[in-house]
Amino acid sequence: MAVQIVMDQTGDTRHWFNPDDTEARSKAGKRFKSLTTIGYTAAVRDAAGKATVTRAFDPTAEETLFFPRLVGG
Amino acid sequence: MLTQWLNSATRYLWRSVTEGARNVLTLRERRRAMMEARETRGITLLREWLSPMQRAQFDASKSFDVVGCDSEKRYRILYGKVTNVHEIDDDGQPVTGWCFVPSGYLVAGDVMLVQKIALETNERATLAVANPYKVLVPGRGPPAPQDARTSA
Repeated sequence: MAVQIVMDQTGDTRHWFNPDDTEARSKAGKRFKSLTTIGYTAAVRDAAGKATVTRAFDPTAEETLFFPRLVGG
Repeated sequence: MLTQWLNSATRYLWRSVTEGARNVLTLRERRRAMMEARETRGITLLREWLSPMQRAQFDASKSFDVVGCDSEKRYRILYGKVTNVHEIDDDGQPVTGWCFVPSGYLVAGDVMLVQKIALETNERATLAVANPYKVLVPGRGPPAPQDARTSA
């Protein structure tokens, strides 16, 4: 199972999906697109824990994190 | 007759007030529990995404260091949501503060995780939106004022 984690007011919301399921994968792809379109940044991390920002939906990523755009404080 | 009615009305009023106060306290408790649950979720997510070294540092001091991907400068991210990122020198002393946050309301753990990823993956763009501020270190006194003659 793969998961898309969206940061929000509750801490985060996790959307689990089976990457082998075509319909679930398509839904996850659409979620990726809609979130990045409204300004969220998507990041994935490798086994060593190194985070990388990604611009395209990667169905093989086990965990994708979405966070809102940055602003100066 | 009137005294009886007044007594009854007072009793009714008093019961309503105490019941209302009890409801407010219950709601407050519930809200506090909800906020604590959110904070805990944020910390859990943060700890999942920290490197083992950063996690150990966070568990010990509620802060952790990151290295900027462009300049290789070190930053210390302290527990909190604002004015919690310090650029540090080789001795671990704060040099400059950088204020940047994700937009919208997020809990501290989430904010700290976003700050970590931003500095580790896109330091230059992050500092471009961040506002620098002077960090006051206890015992070190305020920073010396900039002198136009010496800086020229």
